[in-house]
Amino acid sequence: MVMGMRTSMSMSMHMRMSRRGLTAVRAYGTLTNKSCDRTNSVIWRCDDSDSDSVGSGSGVLSGTSFIVKDNIATKVGYTTAASKSLHDYQSPFDATVVRLLRHQGSKLVGKANLDEFGMGSSTTNSMFGPTINPKYDNEDRIAGGSSGGSAAAVAADMASFSLGTDTGGSVRLPASYCGVVGFKPTYGRISRWGVIPYAQTLDTVGILSKDVDIVEKVYEVLNQYDEKDPTCMTTKVRNNIVSTAKGQLTIGIPEQFIIEELDQDTKIAWELTLHKLVQLGHSLKVVSIPSIKKSLSTYYTLATAEAASNLSRYDGIRYGYKSDNNNEDDTIVSSRCESFGQEVQRRIILGNYTLSSESGDHYLKAAQVRQELVQEFNQVFKLPHPLLENELKLNNCDVLVSPTALSKPPTLKEYDEKNEENFLNSYLNDILTVPASLAGLPTISIPINGTGIQFMTQYGDDSILFSIARDVLHS
Amino acid sequence: MIIFRRSLHYSGVCQSSGSPFKLYPNYKFKCGLEIHTQLKTKYKLFSLSETSFNADPNSKISYFDIGLPGAQPKLNPEALLLALKAASALNCQISLQSKFDRKHYFYRDQPLGYQVTQYYHPLAANGHVELNKFDVNGDVSKVIGIEQIQIEQDTGKLHYDKFDGVIQVDYNRSNTPLIEVITKPDFENLLQVEVFLKNYQTLMRHMGVCSGNLETGAIRVDVNLSVNGFPRVEMKNLASHGEIQEALKSEYSRQVSLLKENKGDQIVQETRGFDGKQTYSQRLKENSVDYRYMPDSELPVINLDKSIAEEIRRILPRTPTQIMAELLSTYQLEKKYAKYIIDHPELLKYYYKVCELVLQDQGIKTNVVNNWFFHEFLGTFTKLDMKVNIVILPAHKLSELIFAVSSGDISLTSARLLLKQLILEPNTSDKSIKELIEFYELGAPSDISATDLDKAVTEVCEAVLLESASSTKSDKKGKKVAHKIKFLIGMAMRKTQGRIKPDVLQKKFEELIGKQ
Repeated sequence: MVMGMRTSMSMSMHMRMSRRGLTAVRAYGTLTNKSCDRTNSVIWRCDDSDSDSVGSGSGVLSGTSFIVKDNIATKVGYTTAASKSLHDYQSPFDATVVRLLRHQGSKLVGKANLDEFGMGSSTTNSMFGPTINPKYDNEDRIAGGSSGGSAAAVAADMASFSLGTDTGGSVRLPASYCGVVGFKPTYGRISRWGVIPYAQTLDTVGILSKDVDIVEKVYEVLNQYDEKDPTCMTTKVRNNIVSTAKGQLTIGIPEQFIIEELDQDTKIAWELTLHKLVQLGHSLKVVSIPSIKKSLSTYYTLATAEAASNLSRYDGIRYGYKSDNNNEDDTIVSSRCESFGQEVQRRIILGNYTLSSESGDHYLKAAQVRQELVQEFNQVFKLPHPLLENELKLNNCDVLVSPTALSKPPTLKEYDEKNEENFLNSYLNDILTVPASLAGLPTISIPINGTGIQFMTQYGDDSILFSIARDVLHS
Repeated sequence: MIIFRRSLHYSGVCQSSGSPFKLYPNYKFKCGLEIHTQLKTKYKLFSLSETSFNADPNSKISYFDIGLPGAQPKLNPEALLLALKAASALNCQISLQSKFDRKHYFYRDQPLGYQVTQYYHPLAANGHVELNKFDVNGDVSKVIGIEQIQIEQDTGKLHYDKFDGVIQVDYNRSNTPLIEVITKPDFENLLQVEVFLKNYQTLMRHMGVCSGNLETGAIRVDVNLSVNGFPRVEMKNLASHGEIQEALKSEYSRQVSLLKENKGDQIVQETRGFDGKQTYSQRLKENSVDYRYMPDSELPVINLDKSIAEEIRRILPRTPTQIMAELLSTYQLEKKYAKYIIDHPELLKYYYKVCELVLQDQGIKTNVVNNWFFHEFLGTFTKLDMKVNIVILPAHKLSELIFAVSSGDISLTSARLLLKQLILEPNTSDKSIKELIEFYELGAPSDISATDLDKAVTEVCEAVLLESASSTKSDKKGKKVAHKIKFLIGMAMRKTQGRIKPDVLQKKFEELIGKQ
């Protein structure tokens, strides 16, 4: 683990822009390569000549190609998290997920655009400019975020699958907007080593593809313990997990998700899904999870506080953007102010307020509300929770179902206008996806009738999601 | 490297009084310590890079140590073990569940923008250290409470290159494991502070927890002082015992002067630096950083078994104070000698080994062993101006030598010669003492009859007397005679190369002089 030359201070201070094996498609939001598609989903393309991008040639994923969100570290190219603060950062190591995929023969073809450090649900907060949704030919609609580049890239057939990160819906929402399958695993299932943290009690690595079978295959490759990630689910816990067996399932509909803001098309898609589920022989029931109502405020309290902490390291001293201001006392401040985007600065300020001694103990209180939510979800599921004891069961659901997004994606213009009106508007999009993130539950979003429908299961019960998704998609 | 202009702010400099220092009974001295102690682990606290001192800058760093994006921490169990040993040695209650927190502040030597420490749930708390007459470093009777012990990361180091106006950052120290030991404000005078700290160093060194050095920064002390219940003033980065003492003296005098002038309101809660002569204000409380503590959710909770305290106690060596008590009583050592070997654990081990081998034998007393060990053995190294090297002479060999003398196989003089020889020529050390005695023909002549030996001794002594005849005859006073006899014995021993024991020679001389 001790690093060699590459990371000696002098080197990392002056990490040069070597363009080894990669084509810079865009930089600072300006088009530098006309061959790039209109989606602006991929920000760095890996060259065929680069040995670091090519897999071993054999393995269960041979013949496939993949794109990873640019907040996942790769030795090839840059790892920028779409932030000016990391505009020239080259990672000396690969994220575990990248290593595992290449080992199974998949080929890394590029790095995807995102909302800076994963903060956003639009992929418009990026130093590379917004990603445009490829699903809509004649209008510029947002791709959703923060893994908008990953979703748009697979929707535009640029790779067999892509990796995103999902903290509060960042894989599922863009999957819904771009019409692809988006899977968020149980928290801790997939290693986060090499994944740039946004809010690490919520961060997961998710998988996107047009094909649910590929998503499952990739999941099987990535679903393993990694000793480098201290939050990775241990082998012991993995072995203790009981999975839901295929067959007649009880499907719960959380009443807290039946909200006014759902548009007509979304309701129709949800009803259609319920209809299909009944046809497949499953039974439905309405369940109540009251704390879902509190989940949005809980999420934004926890996530911003963790973000404020996690982003403290970007001070321009060892790597990344450094201000020209060399004054001893404020070079760190200048570097940060000049390099973080508006949304990132907003969340850092919110988070620091939450953590400040003046504000009291909001973080700890939010963590308590989160625990209540975890308990309520657990009471609804039939299976035991692998990490909890003395469980009270009030229901016997195998799976929960709800829409992934309130509506189809807005146009860039609509989105900007609404956001200018009140930036909290953009936070509302997360209402459907955040509860599963807070509870760490595995969730898959599939395209039904032009929008995304998501299925959630008990903590650790990831595998049943693929068969449900397949059944519903094929029926 | 990064370049900064450096601007140091000094403010509120106060003059210390020139008169000699004393504590005033009406101005109560109340002091507490925060002791940052580097743990002597092979690897860092949360990474697999090695801990180091004075290595090439930034040669001992890994991804996590410099906060690369996406690098995660992994707790080093050795650090936990050493911290638990320290907790046990300081009589603390070990928490069965402790957690890591993040303490946020921006500084160039702090690569994460926060320090991983333990704030809400520290590893151990509620300990105490008893200072008593068996302490290695002093004789003070006092109990000092220990508030808590927390595990935390060390930072990098800044080098200010004044000539080039450059600040260089070395992250080798970054993420080195530390424990912070916080005492209760129980110190009532300077001596208690000094004795406690010196004992603490000895204890940590002895337990293998820390190298124990203040000079290298392995132990760094912050002191806080409050007089008569006025606000607490903290002084950080004091590099030696001397500096700690001087800073406390200066600060106490400053506060007392203010109080005498009824200016108690000018004593405020603050951090002060010490420039060698006086303390100066560095940071007032209202300007202090809000550390925005939060749980580090990346690091798992440390869950310990109920039996942990007992298990740690079992593997812990005895404390220096316990050993001192034994050395002073059972082994009848003088305190300075006991302290010396406690400060040098390998010598202590050696001493115990020799004692074990020699004392089990009938008739040899502890003071004989002590004399041998300190005066003959260690003394020979000193006389030769050599560093003590116990590898040259294993404990069993020194024991054999002591035996040989006490059983009369060899005279003390010959033994000294042999010892010197062994130290100067360690190559001969594969031979046993018995073999060496024969090799150098140092043994008491054992192959001749008592009568022959007596005859030979008489011849030697007569020869010596003859040589010094003029002076001996004139001696009348007994005292002078006794002195003379010592001189004669010396001459005789030189002639016999120490093979005849001095008491035999003395008897012979007395006999011969008596005849004259």
